[in-house]
Amino acid sequence: MSIVMKDVWKTYGEGHTAVHALRSVDLDVAGGGFTVILGPSGSGKTTMLNLLGAIDFPTQGTLQVDGIDLANLGTDTRVDFRRNHIGIVFQFFNLIPTLTALENIELVANLTMQDGIEQSRRALEQVGLTDRMDHFPAQLSGGEQQRVAIARALVKAPPILLCDEPTGELDFETGRMIIGQLRQLNRDNGQTVLLVTHNAAIGDVADRVIRLRSGGIVDDVRHESPRDPAELAW
Amino acid sequence: MVSPLTRKLERDVRRHKAQFIAVAVTMFLGVMLFAASYDSFQNLRASYDAAHIEYRFANLTIAGGDVEAIAAGAAATSGVESAHFRTVADVPLQVDGTKLLGRVVGMPAGDQPAVNQVKVLEGSYLDASLPEGVLVEEHMAEHFGLGPGDSVAVLAEAGWIETRVVGVVASPEYIWPARDRQNIITSPDNFGVVFGGEALAERLGVGGPNEVVLYYAGGEPDDALTARLTEDAWASGAGSVMTRDLQAGNAALEEDLKGFEEMGLFFPVLFLAAASMAAYVTISRLVAAQRPYIGVLLANGFTRRQVLRHYLGYGLLPGLVGSIPGAIAGVLLARLITSLYTDLLAIPITLIEFYPVTLAVAVGFGLLASLLAALAPALVASRVEPALAMRGETPSGGGKPSIPERVIPPMRRLPLTWRMAMRGVERNPRRTTYTIVGVVLSLMLVLVSWGMIDTIEHLMDRQFVEIQREDASVYFAEPLGGGGADALESVDGIAEAEPVLEVPVSFVVADRHYDTALVVMEADTSMHAFASSTGEWVTLPAEGLLVGSALEELLEIGPGDTVQVSIPGLGLSIEETVAGFIDEPLGTMSYVSRDRAEELAGTSLPATSAMIRYNAGADPAAIRAEVTELPQVAAFEDAKAIYNVMQDLMVLFYAFVGVMLVFGAAMAFALIFSAMSVNISERSREIATLLAVGTERRAISRYITGENMLVALLGIPIGLVVGYYMSKAAMATFSSDLFAFDLYVRPSTFLFAALAILGVALLSQWPGLRALRRIDIPRYIKERSA
Repeated sequence: MSIVMKDVWKTYGEGHTAVHALRSVDLDVAGGGFTVILGPSGSGKTTMLNLLGAIDFPTQGTLQVDGIDLANLGTDTRVDFRRNHIGIVFQFFNLIPTLTALENIELVANLTMQDGIEQSRRALEQVGLTDRMDHFPAQLSGGEQQRVAIARALVKAPPILLCDEPTGELDFETGRMIIGQLRQLNRDNGQTVLLVTHNAAIGDVADRVIRLRSGGIVDDVRHESPRDPAELAW
Repeated sequence: MVSPLTRKLERDVRRHKAQFIAVAVTMFLGVMLFAASYDSFQNLRASYDAAHIEYRFANLTIAGGDVEAIAAGAAATSGVESAHFRTVADVPLQVDGTKLLGRVVGMPAGDQPAVNQVKVLEGSYLDASLPEGVLVEEHMAEHFGLGPGDSVAVLAEAGWIETRVVGVVASPEYIWPARDRQNIITSPDNFGVVFGGEALAERLGVGGPNEVVLYYAGGEPDDALTARLTEDAWASGAGSVMTRDLQAGNAALEEDLKGFEEMGLFFPVLFLAAASMAAYVTISRLVAAQRPYIGVLLANGFTRRQVLRHYLGYGLLPGLVGSIPGAIAGVLLARLITSLYTDLLAIPITLIEFYPVTLAVAVGFGLLASLLAALAPALVASRVEPALAMRGETPSGGGKPSIPERVIPPMRRLPLTWRMAMRGVERNPRRTTYTIVGVVLSLMLVLVSWGMIDTIEHLMDRQFVEIQREDASVYFAEPLGGGGADALESVDGIAEAEPVLEVPVSFVVADRHYDTALVVMEADTSMHAFASSTGEWVTLPAEGLLVGSALEELLEIGPGDTVQVSIPGLGLSIEETVAGFIDEPLGTMSYVSRDRAEELAGTSLPATSAMIRYNAGADPAAIRAEVTELPQVAAFEDAKAIYNVMQDLMVLFYAFVGVMLVFGAAMAFALIFSAMSVNISERSREIATLLAVGTERRAISRYITGENMLVALLGIPIGLVVGYYMSKAAMATFSSDLFAFDLYVRPSTFLFAALAILGVALLSQWPGLRALRRIDIPRYIKERSA
């Protein structure tokens, strides 16, 4: 599952008010890795993730995921792409408050399978929340909610997992646990993980760290021996 | 210099313009309805009052007794400005071969009387040099196309007299041409009024002047004076005493006016409540979304009072935008309604005035409703805790299974989207409640309007099909024996004829009087059915009277009670028991079997008319022509004519209901649209998330539609029940001894009303669902608060 970006631009607004969120980005990501995209606010991290998730369109350039040209997909095929290729973990968890932990996962599981209840249970088991499956989001801690969100992203077994500041709303201990879990899932399942954060320390656990600034890649580092998430500190 | 907060208010309103326009439009409708109906009511009231004064409409009418003595006594009574006595004779008339029931009212020739004057619309007033000259009341003149120079035959003691029409007039007594309180609705084909010189009227066999009409000082009602004059009149042998309020035509107009007054309150209150709710839902959502900014305002030194004022502005602005044009439009609409109405009813004087108070009160109502709507959310805004609000954390309720899932556990196995929709209903109880209330208010509006149509159509059917089973009534020139009716059966096309004696009577119980008609019919009559007040069909009893159920309250009597029945026409006064009460939609009549009446009178009784039934396929026009030719026949009354008059009047109702249905739909749309737009905007992040994870927009639309329709469905049964009882109450206010408006709503009406509201609910989601297509997924998935 490769990701290829060639001369990708994303511009919001026009003329004097135009803001270039991404400027001529070239990127090639091989499948199965754990990539962290680092950068300060406004550097274009989330924009890049949105383009990769087919949530947004590039203004210019070529963007391919597993050979699929995302820049030219129609509305329905973008939905299909998101459904079959992408799992997303959000900063604010974005769980449906009226559904239990299990139902939140089942909702997404049912998009790609006939009866996703068993897979949903297994996904919840993977993130260690079997005993909380009947709890509603408001009854879960922030960390638990994010784990449910991860299970929701994983249940469809997508080849790519996009994580947007998944620790942004969590305390250190919980954040570290989430990173550990994502890293473990990446190793166990072989999914390509792209994690966006402004927390440089998280980059230490990644196979590759890409730094963005003002919409452009300023650094691209590969780690031969990433650190164990348990050793993380910030 | 516009303050930044005011600019914020303007821009916020512009950003949510669809919702605020919905509020302003509903406010506009409510205020307009109030101003239009209330001003119309005031204009009509003023027009009637002006006509009463201009034409010196009698405050009190006394019939029977020594009229000259009564008039002289009254004239000497302080407070009575004018007293006049006259001859009034109910006699058949004939115009171009059409015989109809008529009334000839005696007037002084040359000068108008001091009381109950007429407005000459065409020709001239009565001239003493033309003793056979008559003035024709305008309804009759219009129907028969009569004008000066035409002739009308009047049946006098000595036979038909040919009179000459000298003028066409409007009379305050016959603005609504009712024959009497038992016959409020008449057809011009069956009943007409002419005014003739006293000399002519006295030739009609009623034995000279028989009615006194009194006009009080300034035409103002005076209850104490009425009580005194009434007492004196009874003492002088009067047969009936009637105040202006009770005078048949005026009473019908007053009922109508009362309707305006009540509608002028009921419908606007409904619309203003709806507008308030729409405003409340919109402003509450705005406050919830702006919590972080409110926190910033407070943290930067804005006082809670300033914040309160600022958010009250969100109510005030659409309130002003809706109310001021609404009040102006209402006042203008009132002018149009008044002139259409006074033209339609031919009110002699039309007064259209500008009432600044209506304008002020209408705007005041609108502003009050909008401020009340904004008050609760504005208070919430002013009480925000800045530290908590600036963190962007909106306190959120915990999720839980829906009530149906808790009560019926197997429902937890329903498809997930169904469960989501059910839980969504309980998610924001306040919004759900307001949507339900919106549905209820809309249904109330629809049912009250539609219920009126159903009720009137049902009552017409009941009166003219179920109760009155005759095809026509034939009035005899003079009372005949039973053979008079038998002779009619020989007319080709007539299947049956039954003799009827109808005489004016006065019921007296202690000091309570009620004037009505006593109808003497065959014990086994097939021409009239009697519906008891308990719902069963009954026959005429062997002993006792069947009387209209309104008398139960008016005379404070019950079954088995004895009433004194004074029958001036027969010179009789008898006592008889009340065998039972009957429900008849029109009038409050009394009935007795011929056998019992003859037993009480001690003699055989004649027939004043006959009820006839046609053979199947007979030609009614040919029968009328042939029957009218018979010498003993004075008038022919087609039972269907009144039915047709009612049908014509129904056109006004249909127009009214049509307008109300459009307004109801607009109100329902505004309310449900506001609630549903907020529903969608409140969960933008949720929807964006679902889209981001690959859910199709169609699936999300279905889920949101399901939830909203579920809420609307919850409101339907409540709305139907509340609407039914509201309609019942509304119809009850129109009920009197003149009309018995017992609410009847067709089952199909409930169904159509519910479907109409559900249709509007479905339609009102459309803008919100369209907005789904434009939802900015990247923006909302990063939003902190839901």
